[in-house]
Amino acid sequence: MTSTTEPHSQHGLRPGDPPPRRRGIFMRPGYLRASWVTPLFFLIGMYIVVALRALAGWDPVYDWEYIVLIAGMVTAPIGFLLGMGVFDYWLYWISGRPTVADDHASHGAYSWKDYFKVNTDHKVIGIQYLVTTFFFFVAGGFLAMLFRAELAEPGMQFFDTQTFNGLVSAHATLMIFVFIIPAFAGLANFAVPLMLGAPDMAFPRLNALSFWMLPVAGALFLASFLAPGGAFATGWTSYAPLASEQPFGQVFFNMGVQWAGASSIATALNFLVTIITMRAPGMTFWRMPLLVWANFTTSLLVVIATPFIAGSQFFVMFDRVMHTSFFTPDNGGYVLGYQHIFWFYSHPAVYIMVLPGFGIISEVISVFSRKPIFGYRLMAVSLIGILVLAFSVWAHHMFVAGMADWLRIPMMISTLLIAVPTGIKVFSWLATLWEGKLHLSTPMLFALGFISTFVIGGLSGVYVASVPIDIHASDTYFVVAHIHYVLFGGSVFTIFAGLYYWFPKMTGRMFDERLGKLHFWLTFVTFNLTFFPMHWLGLDGMPRRVADYAGTYGALNMVVSIGSFVLGASVVIFAYNIVVSWARGPVAESNPWKAMTIEWQVSSPPPVFNFDEIPQVVGGPYEYGVPGARHAVLRGGALQEAHA
Amino acid sequence: MIRVTVIAVLAAIVTTLVAVLIRWLPESASEQMDRITFTYWFATVISIAIFSIVIGLIVYSVWAFRVQPEDDTDGPPIHGNTKLEIAWTIVPALLVISIGLVSAVVISKNANAGSDPLEVKVFAQQFAWKFEYPGEVRSDELVMPLRRPVEFHMESADVIHSLWIPQMGQKQDVVPGVTTKIVITPTRTGTFTLICTELCGLGHATMRAPVRVLEQPEFASWLAKQRAAGAGAAGGAASGGTGGGTQAGGAASALGKQTFASAGCGGCHAFEPAGTDAQIGPGLDNLVADAKKAGEPEDAYIEQSIVEPNAVVVAGYQPGVMPQTFGETLSPEELDALVAFLSGK
Amino acid sequence: MSDIPISGGPHLAGSHPQEAIPHGPPPANRSSRLDAATLGMFLFIASEAMLFGAFFTAYFFVRVVNPTATETWPPAPFEFPVFVAGVNTAILVTSSFTIHWATQAIKRNDRNGLRAGLVVTILLGSAFLLTQAIEYAHVGFNTGDGAFASVFFGLTGLHGAHVFVGLSLLTIAAVRAFRGHFSAEHHHGVEIPGIYWHFVDVMWIIVFFAVYVL
Ligand code: HEA
Ligand code: HEA
Ligand code: HEC
Ligand code: CUA
Ligand SMILES: [Cu+2]
Repeated sequence: MTSTTEPHSQHGLRPGDPPPRRRGIFMRPGYLRASWVTPLFFLIGMYIVVALRALAGWDPVYDWEYIVLIAGMVTAPIGFLLGMGVFDYWLYWISGRPTVADDHASHGAYSWKDYFKVNTDHKVIGIQYLVTTFFFFVAGGFLAMLFRAELAEPGMQFFDTQTFNGLVSAHATLMIFVFIIPAFAGLANFAVPLMLGAPDMAFPRLNALSFWMLPVAGALFLASFLAPGGAFATGWTSYAPLASEQPFGQVFFNMGVQWAGASSIATALNFLVTIITMRAPGMTFWRMPLLVWANFTTSLLVVIATPFIAGSQFFVMFDRVMHTSFFTPDNGGYVLGYQHIFWFYSHPAVYIMVLPGFGIISEVISVFSRKPIFGYRLMAVSLIGILVLAFSVWAHHMFVAGMADWLRIPMMISTLLIAVPTGIKVFSWLATLWEGKLHLSTPMLFALGFISTFVIGGLSGVYVASVPIDIHASDTYFVVAHIHYVLFGGSVFTIFAGLYYWFPKMTGRMFDERLGKLHFWLTFVTFNLTFFPMHWLGLDGMPRRVADYAGTYGALNMVVSIGSFVLGASVVIFAYNIVVSWARGPVAESNPWKAMTIEWQVSSPPPVFNFDEIPQVVGGPYEYGVPGARHAVLRGGALQEAHA
Repeated sequence: MIRVTVIAVLAAIVTTLVAVLIRWLPESASEQMDRITFTYWFATVISIAIFSIVIGLIVYSVWAFRVQPEDDTDGPPIHGNTKLEIAWTIVPALLVISIGLVSAVVISKNANAGSDPLEVKVFAQQFAWKFEYPGEVRSDELVMPLRRPVEFHMESADVIHSLWIPQMGQKQDVVPGVTTKIVITPTRTGTFTLICTELCGLGHATMRAPVRVLEQPEFASWLAKQRAAGAGAAGGAASGGTGGGTQAGGAASALGKQTFASAGCGGCHAFEPAGTDAQIGPGLDNLVADAKKAGEPEDAYIEQSIVEPNAVVVAGYQPGVMPQTFGETLSPEELDALVAFLSGK
Repeated sequence: MSDIPISGGPHLAGSHPQEAIPHGPPPANRSSRLDAATLGMFLFIASEAMLFGAFFTAYFFVRVVNPTATETWPPAPFEFPVFVAGVNTAILVTSSFTIHWATQAIKRNDRNGLRAGLVVTILLGSAFLLTQAIEYAHVGFNTGDGAFASVFFGLTGLHGAHVFVGLSLLTIAAVRAFRGHFSAEHHHGVEIPGIYWHFVDVMWIIVFFAVYVL
């Protein structure tokens, strides 16, 4: 194993092209350039604010809230992106300077350092996404550990209530906006182009931009803890009008969500275009792996719904900094408008957070049962069913909110009906298991664990979908239990399954199966220990988002807290397994799971441009057990074993 | 197939035990909660069935179809089965629709206040509840008559709050700018706690109010007593502190103390005379010194601190934390009494 | 960490030593008649339309659903400058025709037509923005004057921001046009901003009717 030292920046330049201009180290894209462009842009933003205030004759001219808002949350991040070089190619193009039509200078990773630079290779971006989001997962989980310590006993021990609310809000925000959603985007980034037989995403540079907006969002969420008054403390839902009256930390949420949202829209757009225009010959829609289908539907949800959360956060911010009255009733505003707009995004968002997982599970179950997926077409159709229904149920988060009464019944029925397409998926997975040859390796364990916990979460969803039950259970720990059964038992389990499943393909190395199994069992048991009692707490009367609660709930909360600490420890096992296996695990074959989809037909890790020649698709993706069946035919060396 | 059924039945038995042996819902104290409990059990029966089938299939598959070592053949290439697929589309659809129908009936019954409800106005603000009975009787405690529907008309002065009495099931947000309603018909006497279940800021966790359900005659006499007390008190201001209507037309300091409790000041401030020890805002036992620091007369300073909390912000605290609505929600009498109470007069 | 050999890079698979890597990826299969960049722009526009949708939803809540909504729109002492906005509408609609002219010109390989069309469109767009800025200064109310003002500034401001973005895109196209780029075969760089510009115009007509006329 030798590290390659060839300067790859020459890559893609044709003979006869002028050699790229040499630039000083402070001018080359990267952290050094970012380290001066970012402050420069901060200053620019600051002086825009100051100049405007001076012109308008407002006092004080140096208003730090506005300066931090504009300079710190808008221009400085743009400066950072510029410095890192995300926009370089476009700037050349814009200014009409010559550009190399397909410049692959920033394609492929040749050393671990390349993962810290702007890269346009979908595989590298996928891994960048996954590592970054895992960092935010640990950060969000760490906050949960902190407030679980506070909640272990009734009474106030470690934090005051504002800090507590801040911890809860930041926990959920990190988990949702910079862990679950982008982690799926990361997995899909790695897998989808390969599965489609495409050399890359449709817009590789946009892809890089999407990724680099993510750390900006995460950094804003985390930085809110430094704001005077503490982190945003209004929950991840950040309801108006409370949110427009909170200390300054709230703005970090408003703006962080914009960055995360922009990133997510850009990626979704990229997936849609890739899936529509770049499928390999023979890859009809009905031959696409279900992971691709899942990301196709998810991306549609993202493109259509995400602008609504952008809108909702703009309004809250305007109400705060420009004294508008979107949600101030005294001045003609309408408070519940916020919730409608917010949930019009955030309900579809919960399916954004689980459909890609459904895709992963379909891949894993089929491969490890050695059987075709049961009812492939209905599986794809049910995704579309969920997509359509997802837009007609948002008000189930508002059954007790005081909205128009007549809206409740249709919203309840459509919500309940989502159980049907979801049930189709669950039963099809079960039927795929039937008479299969189940290989119970780690990804499969997580897949099976996923089905059992997600069903509990889905059923508790059905409880709260029923208006009378929701009236009792809303805003209690019952909902918290639901959230974690669908998001942890659902999404996080699928992410683990996917990470283990594609780990050999991503890194070219195998993980430690024994540690993987230990991780699964520890997670599975302590997950249930942590979150199952919450159903009881909630129904019995414990509201959510409280730092202090009635003494009678003390014992159960202690159980929950202890469970959650062990659950946290199980994450450490996972991290250890991944890091060590990545560094020196046994070398993986190109197709350790004997899967049919295209990504497994190239070497592990795949070559820089995926294929020497675009594969020809000749059949369905899950033809296990069908004699002689093939999904795709690859020509030109790609099939050769890496270390044969 | 038989084995699967056995496993599924076992799973069903275990889940049923979990469902019955644990007292999941609090003991019902209202007609509405009775119906909610019914809906809950209806959904539970369906859920147990679904869950048992799913778990039964997973456990059986793992047990029966687990691959033998050295076996690297594939399973049978079954691609689907239209009849099965139709079945598992239709049956869940019917089941959830039945849940929907039951729920719809329950909602409409639960929203029905009957012909002669008792109307109670609810005022929520950070972080206190106030109730007003017909005849302008104000109270900090919610008192309800047994078996008579009580219709709540709820308003909020600042942000969204939510009213919930766990044993009575019903829950409704209180939204600024909108008057929301719910109906509760208590079915047993006793004391309960009303809690705020919508995150409303710092004091959300402590925003509670005591609730008592009385026999109808007792309720009537309570109401009459409150009415008399209210008429006696200066300006018809709030009466009937948390103790439940103790004194009538008391001295200003009594009104001050009451207001301190009812306006929720104790949720944030420690103040010896009121016996509170919260730490969100500064302690109020040394206000004289603070007023000096601000260079203002004591009373004016206190009044300003209540009406316009952001005018002078105590070192180490944040502006915008203390609600800025007290100027509107407190009557002039209450304000004066509060200032007097705080300045120790 | 640097001493651990990282096999994370796709390069380390033994079968692909540097020399064997083809210079550039194989051309992707075109699985759709749709052109990728155009499709991307349409999806972006879909998402932008939804952003306007969020603002229109706010408008709907403030004006229709709100129980305290006022009878008149805008409420009594205030008035919207309908006439100025009407003139502005005319300006923007005209600019839609000029950009169409520009794109048609380059399809005939008429560079001068392209340049003229772009310049006129940019001038019209800037005139629109300038008028709107002046309108803001003279309209007689401010963002803090109530929900109607929030909605007014919200919708027109959001639209103004889009005009600005559209103008930036057109300016880029113009710079490139004057540098001699684009031809009858290659005119994506004009066509795609053009689509966006049409979207901005259509959106204005909706905003105009919702805010000023209805
Ligand atoms: C991944 C995320 C995810 C997913 C997939 C879901 C799935 C569902 N959710 Fe959940 N939900 C959240 C994340 C998610 N939710 C979050 C984060 C909140 C809280 C937000 C907040 O306030 O902070 C929430 C809150 C929430 C509420 C509001 C509660 C309240 O605040 O009062 C409701 C109410 O209807 C609801 C319903 C549902 C339903 C019906 C489903 C369905 O899609 C479930 C469907 C699945 C099944 C039913 C199981 C499998 C089906 C079968 C085996 C078939 C047979 C089944 C039957 C016949 C019943 N959810
Ligand atoms: C994907 C989403 C997700 C995930 C994974 C989690 C994970 C966890 N959540 Fe969270 N949670 C939410 C989404 C999520 N949550 C949401 C949306 C809410 C609603 C918020 C709101 O009300 O607005 C919520 C609210 C919420 C509450 C309710 C708070 C309240 O209402 O007052 C609680 C209470 O116990 C809780 C607990 C936990 C715990 C114990 C975990 C555990 O699973 C965490 C596991 C721990 C780790 C992952 C950390 C491990 C790492 C370490 C210990 C450091 C070790 C160091 C190294 C590895 C180097 N969560
Ligand atoms: C949400 C919490 C909260 C509530 C409820 C609250 N306060 Fe405060 N209060 C604060 C905070 C925080 C400060 C310090 C910041 C400031 O001065 O504005 C403060 C400051 C004050 C001060 C000035 C203290 C000094 O030392 O100068 C007075 C007096 C006061 N509050 C009285 C009241 C009264 C009376 C009520 C009830 C009607 C009340 N507060 C309700 C949080 C609260
Ligand atoms: Cu009031 Cu929570
Ligand atoms: Cu939802």
